Amino acid sequence: MSLSDKKKSKGLRYGGAILFLFSIPLIVRGQYTLHILIMAAMNIILASSLRLVASSGQLSMAHGGMMTIGAYTSALLVMKLGISSWAALPLAGLAAAALALLVGFPFVRIKGIYFAMVTVFLAEMITLTAEHWRSLTGGSSGVVNIPPPDPLVIPGLISIDFPTKTEFYYFILVLMLVTLLFLYAIERSRIGLTLISIQQTELLSESVGVNTSRFKVLAFCIGCFFAGIVGSFYSQYINVITPRSFEFFFAIYIIVYMIVGGIKKFSGPIYGAFILTIFPEFIRALKEFQPFIFAGLLMLAIFFLPDGLVDLRRQWDKFYEKRFNRA
Amino acid sequence: MITQSILNGLVLGGIYILVALGLTLILSIMGIVQLAHGEVYMLGAYAMYYLCVHAGLNFLLAILISAFLVGGLGVLLEKYFFRPFRGKMERALIISIGLILLLQNAVLVIAGGTPRAFASPFSGMISVLGVTLSLERLIVISVAFGLVLVLFFLIKMTKVGQAMVAISQDREVAALQGINIDRISSIAMFLGCAFAAVSGALVGALFSVSPFMGGFALMKGIAVIILGGMGSILGAVLGGLLLGLIDGVVPVYSTTHMAGLIGFGFIILILLFKPQGMLGREFE
Repeated sequence: MSLSDKKKSKGLRYGGAILFLFSIPLIVRGQYTLHILIMAAMNIILASSLRLVASSGQLSMAHGGMMTIGAYTSALLVMKLGISSWAALPLAGLAAAALALLVGFPFVRIKGIYFAMVTVFLAEMITLTAEHWRSLTGGSSGVVNIPPPDPLVIPGLISIDFPTKTEFYYFILVLMLVTLLFLYAIERSRIGLTLISIQQTELLSESVGVNTSRFKVLAFCIGCFFAGIVGSFYSQYINVITPRSFEFFFAIYIIVYMIVGGIKKFSGPIYGAFILTIFPEFIRALKEFQPFIFAGLLMLAIFFLPDGLVDLRRQWDKFYEKRFNRA
Repeated sequence: MITQSILNGLVLGGIYILVALGLTLILSIMGIVQLAHGEVYMLGAYAMYYLCVHAGLNFLLAILISAFLVGGLGVLLEKYFFRPFRGKMERALIISIGLILLLQNAVLVIAGGTPRAFASPFSGMISVLGVTLSLERLIVISVAFGLVLVLFFLIKMTKVGQAMVAISQDREVAALQGINIDRISSIAMFLGCAFAAVSGALVGALFSVSPFMGGFALMKGIAVIILGGMGSILGAVLGGLLLGLIDGVVPVYSTTHMAGLIGFGFIILILLFKPQGMLGREFE
């Protein structure tokens, strides 16, 4: 097979997969199933954008806090200022990115586990601010009755509004595909290469003239931008946002998706977020014993697949080969 | 009023310090952040509840037994869950998250989700220089700071303590000197978990016991070691006292949210000027 053929078959595969994703609402009628798929798509965006931050060697636990920023920004812009929800969506992302930029330069001086912890405190402070600033945010009870997205009108052609989960599914699907394309392009660009060089050897990259803190802040900002966008989407989808909608454990779960899926490959967080979001649904019948199975799965994955779930096939091949060669 | 709130701050500080000491021991000896430490603390509180209410044991004896039980559990956790991941921050993080789910839900299945309370036998008040102090709170303060002293002397005076210092400075060189890292790790985990259990038991007697009480303790414990500097006992004591006082005094004049904001804001501010915390050093 020649190179162009290979490229063609790869393109065909991706095209087929995307076509399949778009046709899911035609096959799946259950609203609950669609809801789970919407959640999975949200988690894929979150875990993949977190991986960009992590690719510069920083583990951020502020993704939940950044979603809170995005969700409140978009809800308040739409409800108090009457801005179109389609303008509020990118503004929510920009608000999160702006906060990331503001704290970024001082934060990236803090290394390793300290950085992770500082981001925990940042997220906690965002939550506490939302709880404390009652006149703007409504305090602990949050903002309720957030309107769904405005109808999407292309004059003379179509008008889409958002009465059911199907429309939200298409909304998040497009958002997810665009995000992944963007993140992939960054990873393959000079910026992506520079980030990896910083992660592997920060001193050396500095010595060849890379402004490492600028690149780290850039990665942090872009990652937080997408968290803000997802927060805005969530507020329009669920209609309610409270200061504790995305608290500590929410951010922890995004990290779990990323690491258990596999941090080394671009596809890792995608598989991790998808599998770990839908897996609990299959063992729902176990009721209170469900978390035990989930925890067991996490630990088994970490014990046997150091490079994440995406490495399953290679590890399995290795195992298989070993057994046959011995026999 | 102000004396009362300072006293409350000292009580909170004592509790935070006990949790933080365990975290910092585990971090500096094993090189991992044990996120399930809050659940260990919760188990200590539940052990105390069962020993006091169901077995009818004496309060102090129950604390001692609960500390040994939970410390023993810590040794098992170290051996079977954390040993393979020593120094591997990210993978150990996932293991500890799995442990949170396991322990929290185990307690939920066994004991149920409703908070439970038990009274400590020290309900009297004493009056010193015109300030009324509840005996209960004095016990918390003295137990907490007593344990800090014990740990301090353990590390300064004993061979095991010096081995801990050596490992925290350089694991490989320590191993070359003939220090048994496995053994020291289990001792560190035993101590850390026992301290968390005592802290949980004391909180249980003051307030109540619930399967979800661990998250708060973990957050405060992490805040303390970050503020004080990881791996430093003195730093943990200082950081714990500071955060305890903020949490004890600020709510009197404002809200608990404000106390949290001031506390975390203070930590971030300190880190900007001193990235390793007040008395800490760098960790990979």
